[in-house]
Amino acid sequence: MMAQLRSELLKQRSSQTNLGLFAGMLGLVLLAVLLHGFGLPAGDLAKRNNQLMVFGRGEFLGALFAALLGAMSFTGEIRHGTIRPTFLVSPWRSRVVAAKVAASTLMGAGFGLVASALAAVVGAGVLGACGVDVQLDGGDYLLLVSGGTAASALWAAIGVGIGATLRDQVPTLIGISAWLLFVEGLFGGDLADVSRFAPGTLGMAISGQEPDTLLAPAVSLLLLALYALAAAAAGWLGTTRRDVA
Amino acid sequence: MRIRRGQDGAADPVVAVSSLTKRFGELTAVDGLSFALEAGTVTGFLGPNGAGKTTTLRLLLGLAEPTAGEALVFGRRYRELDQPARRVGAVLESNDFHPGRSGRDHLRVLALAAEIPQVRVEEVLELVELERAAGRRVKTYSLGMRQRLGLAAALLGDPELLILDEPANGLDPAGVHWLRTFLRGFAERGGTVLVSSHALAEIAQTVDQVVIIDRGRLVSSAALDELAGRGESLEEAYLELTAGGAG
Repeated sequence: MMAQLRSELLKQRSSQTNLGLFAGMLGLVLLAVLLHGFGLPAGDLAKRNNQLMVFGRGEFLGALFAALLGAMSFTGEIRHGTIRPTFLVSPWRSRVVAAKVAASTLMGAGFGLVASALAAVVGAGVLGACGVDVQLDGGDYLLLVSGGTAASALWAAIGVGIGATLRDQVPTLIGISAWLLFVEGLFGGDLADVSRFAPGTLGMAISGQEPDTLLAPAVSLLLLALYALAAAAAGWLGTTRRDVA
Repeated sequence: MRIRRGQDGAADPVVAVSSLTKRFGELTAVDGLSFALEAGTVTGFLGPNGAGKTTTLRLLLGLAEPTAGEALVFGRRYRELDQPARRVGAVLESNDFHPGRSGRDHLRVLALAAEIPQVRVEEVLELVELERAAGRRVKTYSLGMRQRLGLAAALLGDPELLILDEPANGLDPAGVHWLRTFLRGFAERGGTVLVSSHALAEIAQTVDQVVIIDRGRLVSSAALDELAGRGESLEEAYLELTAGGAG
């Protein structure tokens, strides 16, 4: 298993794909925090919840890009045909899926850590530039960064599961992006209560955003871990039971 | 290369395909196919397009599950081998690479998973004469270079059996000559080769025997000497057996 994990980690490091994802994530975190910070009226920006939301863009984008990274760890192998040599040297597919989940979780955690920390640092700078006092304390920062790291790690595992289930890269990446960027945002009205249990919203809750309306971070972490487990199980089933073209 | 024997001292057939059948819905791609290969032979696996060659190789290598029958290597299903990369090397497609990864990293990824020492990566790169291009991304490689990189990956574990699907595609005449010499030498050292190809003239210079299939069924399994004894060239026998090679 460790050999397979080392192999998967080298796959993740040895192409430009993840570097491109990482750079894209950093650029979007900067853009999102700057636009929110300078776009909101100073009065709104002074509210603690809004500051959590602005700083929480790091968690949100970290989770999104971690999910894409996880998904591409599988769909990329299908797209480029490398799944064949992968399964020829490691015909034990459960082991390959487990190694992909582990490697993507580690990389996803790294994405989340950097994105959350960057958003916090840049967010504090933007508030300072706008003359707004930061209402967040050390505990808030800790939760933003640790929660963002954990949420991104779990979303990377979810991405692997979705990628292994759908296999086709384009629908997988569009589906994940559409869900996080658009679909969960449509939950409102009578569905507002349900939306607290949606996986993207759970990620926000883990990092301490909207504490008055969302679930507690610990509960959210547990629920998102269950999502990750379910997605990985679906990916495992799809991988072990289907032929490779 | 280490030739291993069973507990009774007798070697299992290296490849044993028995009543192998694979259906995709209504389509029967492989239909009750049986053949066996002994160690130290080079076998041409021939048939028209759509005859079921690649499907048979996928079944043999555990990439697909048979509908009925079995395909064994060294007496076991592929995924039941302890260290498959150290017993079987295979190339099914000439382009199974991440275009943004270097040739060397492609091999390192596989060597890590198969627990093969990294020094072997450099050995196989030298063997296929790719050491100078090994640091370049695969997207800059010619088709012939990709074929040689695929062969290098198959050779990583110093296997006893090589399964190659159209390995000469894209190779220049010198490359084809090199491949032929390599495969003959591999068999002379006790290795076994199963090579699928449409290049009959080249196959006739490389293999000891042929397995010819058509519409998923075995139509001939014979030594080249047998065909020659009947006064037939490989091409004549092939065209006769496969009804003109239609398909």
